[in-house]
Amino acid sequence: MSKPIILSMKNVSVHFPVKGALPFSKKRVVSAVSDVSVDIFQGETFGIVGESGCGKSTLANAMIGLVRPTSGEVLFKGNKLYSLSPQEFKEIRRDMQMIFQDPFSSLNPRFNVYQIISEPMKIRGGASVDEMKKRVIELLELVGLSEKDLYRYPSDFSGGQRQRIGIARAIILNPDFLVCDEPVSALDVSVHAQILNLLMELQEKLKMTYVFISHNLAVVKSICDHMVVMYLGNVMESGSTKAIYQHPLHPYTNALLSAVLDVDLDNKKERILLQGDIPSPINPPRGCRFYQRCPYAMKGCVDKKPALIEIEPEHFVACHYINPFAQEEINAGLAKPLNL
Amino acid sequence: MKDLMLKVRNLKVIFPNQMGVLKAVEGIDFDIPKGKCVAIVGESGCGKSVTSLAVMKLLNSPPAMVRVDELVLDGADLKDYTDQMMQEVRGKQISMIFQDAMTALNPVMTIGKQIDEVFIRHGKMDKGEARIATIKALELVGVPEPKSRANQFPHQLSGGMRQRVLIAMAFACMPKLIIADEPTTALDVTIQAQVLDVLSDMQKKHEVSLLLITHDLSVVANMADTIYVMYSGKIVEKAKVRELFLHPHHPYTIGLLGSIPKLSDEVHKFVQIPDAVPHPMFKPTGCYFHPRCSHSTLKCSQVMPPLKTLLNGREIRCFHPQNVVDFEEVAHE
Repeated sequence: MSKPIILSMKNVSVHFPVKGALPFSKKRVVSAVSDVSVDIFQGETFGIVGESGCGKSTLANAMIGLVRPTSGEVLFKGNKLYSLSPQEFKEIRRDMQMIFQDPFSSLNPRFNVYQIISEPMKIRGGASVDEMKKRVIELLELVGLSEKDLYRYPSDFSGGQRQRIGIARAIILNPDFLVCDEPVSALDVSVHAQILNLLMELQEKLKMTYVFISHNLAVVKSICDHMVVMYLGNVMESGSTKAIYQHPLHPYTNALLSAVLDVDLDNKKERILLQGDIPSPINPPRGCRFYQRCPYAMKGCVDKKPALIEIEPEHFVACHYINPFAQEEINAGLAKPLNL
Repeated sequence: MKDLMLKVRNLKVIFPNQMGVLKAVEGIDFDIPKGKCVAIVGESGCGKSVTSLAVMKLLNSPPAMVRVDELVLDGADLKDYTDQMMQEVRGKQISMIFQDAMTALNPVMTIGKQIDEVFIRHGKMDKGEARIATIKALELVGVPEPKSRANQFPHQLSGGMRQRVLIAMAFACMPKLIIADEPTTALDVTIQAQVLDVLSDMQKKHEVSLLLITHDLSVVANMADTIYVMYSGKIVEKAKVRELFLHPHHPYTIGLLGSIPKLSDEVHKFVQIPDAVPHPMFKPTGCYFHPRCSHSTLKCSQVMPPLKTLLNGREIRCFHPQNVVDFEEVAHE
């Protein structure tokens, strides 16, 4: 690859302890993300796709230092993010910012627009009030608002405009790396396109790297360069968006794609309906985490975890159905279909 | 017409407050034929949920003020029904599926008991019969192990299961009309597909009429027969589902359809509608959509266009309809 890697995660796991109902009950953990490795290249958009509860937000939080991983390493521009001193971490954290899903709860209702957007600059320090004001106005215009909105409060704005304020706040310190956690799912349909177009324009202008979390596969397809498909804390399929959409291999990816309702009436595809729901991340299945809902599940899927294997250039899949078992395992009966 | 399940004429809902009058629904007409699925599509704040509540007569007055010329359910005009008479209608003749199953279900009652209630109240059954009927109803919507599930509380079920319970409850007494208000918005894609399948199966099997309220055009494309598009309290376009998707006439519908990225698309730029939905207290003059419309003229900003009926039965509220092949139109009575 010619592009340099800006962020890389190596075998990252994030576990959260769960309190039992009784005072001395056994300690249990939710494994929100387990053993995930990704590389994100400079200047591209990296998509994370999955159903709710699959760990996509936790993964993104671990990327920018909001959640400390239980194990594994996060390297941002070559620095080990979780081994830095607090001072160094604060410095480096300026280059990574986040846009949140819900613009109604992510803006302080008691702050006016100027206070909201200038807060990161204030915390960094070293800028006079005039400089900050000038910069805030510049940003307001960049995101499609105007100077006269400067002293208004979030309650005066519609959802789309609030999200623009959130974007302005995120980019005020010129970050290189921006995490967008479902930036449009709380907005009206007719406003989705505005915000997505704005994000893409800004990326072009400011040369930022995006991590784009979404459950909307059609959006991911049109804006992401590389992506991972997650299920219950594991990566099921990863690689270049083009390769994955051209021939999705993992049964889960196929099911996800076929579940997307299309407005194309003539493009009637066969729908694969998954049975059941996502199992609880407390005590997830030992082997492939998808086997309970997988139409191709085999006996070996219950106990043996599939490895993420490169099937073709820039296309990795973790599935025993795609990467068959070794001969001795087949002889041992692992490849026999599992009847649930 | 005889084969209409629901006929609504000139439905208006307003909410007066200290600052003025909030016009949520401004005189809409719609029909639901027997055994068909009709959808009302619109963004948040366009009045689609208020419409559904008004049909059920669930809006409290005050604060809401509801005026309707005709509200006919299968030949009976519900307009002058009292609250007590409506209690006989709700659950038995019309029932509703809500968006968020967690808030629609009672958290301190087992789901079996909640469905039993419907049978006891409207089906005139005793407790034992009701439970048998409940288990059968749960089985119909694909809840596994319905017998033991019936003794569980809502929080013990997953989102998809809870939505199935609501569907089972709505279909319990085989009502004539079911109103589904955003039935799948709170669910994940794979679960959404499951629930929609159940809903459309049940609707076809039992030949009930379904009023689907949603903001998601892709849900509509797979479910509905006829679509009404609402914008800011008015119907702006009505068409059969195929016609609407292939030849949308109203610029708003075109914008809505264009702003949904498709899996088959190759473009990297999204079609956008500028600006946002107007606040219902401060609607613009003339056509409500004109400040966001790329085809608007001076006339649009002064006069509200009338709802015109085209020869093929489509209705449209626009001075500059797009993609219209056949310009002939018949006046709207």
